[in-house]
Amino acid sequence: MSDVRKKVIQDPRSRTKREEEIFQTLHDVQDAEFDIDIVDMGLIYGVHFDEREQSVIVDMTFTSMACPAIDFMSEDVIERLNLEKDIKNVSINVVWDPPWNQEMLSEDGVEGLNDWGVIKWV
Amino acid sequence: MFDLRKESFVEDRLKEGKYIEELSMMSPKYLDGMKKILTVSADTELVSAPAYYLAAKDAPTTNAFISAMGIIQDELGHAHIAYRLMEDLGINKEEFIYDRDPKSFRYPYAFDVPLVTWTELAVANAFYDRAGFVLLDDVFENTTFGPWKRALVKVGKEEGFHLRHGETWMKKLVKDSDGKERLQKALDWMFPLTVEWFGLPDDLKTQNIQLEYGFKGQSNDQLRQTWMSTAVPLAESLGLDVPAHYSETEKKYVLEYPFPCKFDASEKKWLFEEGEIPWIDPNSDGYSVMKRWKNRGEMNDEFVDILQKGHKQVCQMLERK
Repeated sequence: MSDVRKKVIQDPRSRTKREEEIFQTLHDVQDAEFDIDIVDMGLIYGVHFDEREQSVIVDMTFTSMACPAIDFMSEDVIERLNLEKDIKNVSINVVWDPPWNQEMLSEDGVEGLNDWGVIKWV
Repeated sequence: MFDLRKESFVEDRLKEGKYIEELSMMSPKYLDGMKKILTVSADTELVSAPAYYLAAKDAPTTNAFISAMGIIQDELGHAHIAYRLMEDLGINKEEFIYDRDPKSFRYPYAFDVPLVTWTELAVANAFYDRAGFVLLDDVFENTTFGPWKRALVKVGKEEGFHLRHGETWMKKLVKDSDGKERLQKALDWMFPLTVEWFGLPDDLKTQNIQLEYGFKGQSNDQLRQTWMSTAVPLAESLGLDVPAHYSETEKKYVLEYPFPCKFDASEKKWLFEEGEIPWIDPNSDGYSVMKRWKNRGEMNDEFVDILQKGHKQVCQMLERK
């Protein structure tokens, strides 16, 4: 993991228990093309939950600024988190810096993409 | 140049479960059949680009427009894959794409009817791309031409995205009554047009080299059923009226209108009340589906012109230099 990523992407250790649960919940949301979820794709940079306001802000990126699925995946995230009883308001904070790259993939994401024949992980 | 193989060579190879990998492994019959099926695939993908672009201009937001342009870019890529394979079979790709008469392009009649609204694009992605997906998935599973099978891995994933685009927008649009009305109007003319997409019914197919040589696995009627098995439930789940249902007694989807029947393209309206018409008119002076397809429709010239214009302009410019 690069130093840049450490600074800008939310450190999992800084998440509250509930934020970590919300982060894990996002494994339910699939990428628009591949059978890989958006957490394993490395699209979720951070989750910020406000218990009193019952609101959550999701820091999210996409694999390119011209990604044709920006609306889809944002809506899928909102739809999924709205199923949580303690969440009344979900907003997406689109983050372009640092830009997504293959390093953002989880191990499962790398494996998944390899299975689909999309990339050769070196 | 080499001589093509005898039919027995191809037949033996296929019996052994081996793929045909290149021109030097083909017989004249195999080559001719493969060129035909690739032409339909390539032309369909290519013409879908201007057809979808016309409707994409009605996109409600910039992001929605980008989604549609992503789809159009995919379609052009898919067309390129098929034309590129044809090049390996001895076709001059440039001439084939840019010098052909519009009427000789081989794509479903559905694309000759203009898609002008965002709603129509959503239904096209949900219905037309589903038809393309069903056809190409069958090719992927069954084709005996190795290079095409491998190329279709990428195509299938992208077509899946197009389907999802259509379904997602249909679900969004159906939420308000105006949107639902527009969707119903689009479905009313686009559903029967997609049912037609799969071609002549099996009992009218005279030669079936496509099945014999394993270019594809399912017959036209089987593919039509496969398409309806997901298209009909989608429409039903959205509370839209769809003129087909699953018959428990017949164990298949059945249409609730005369099939095939007349279509008034200018009004985008099916003339169900006029009853069934023939697929092929034996006297060639009446109205038949094949005649409508052969004459092509309103957008044929315009779409092919859009695709060929830039190339022609560049050629003229180079000649002037």
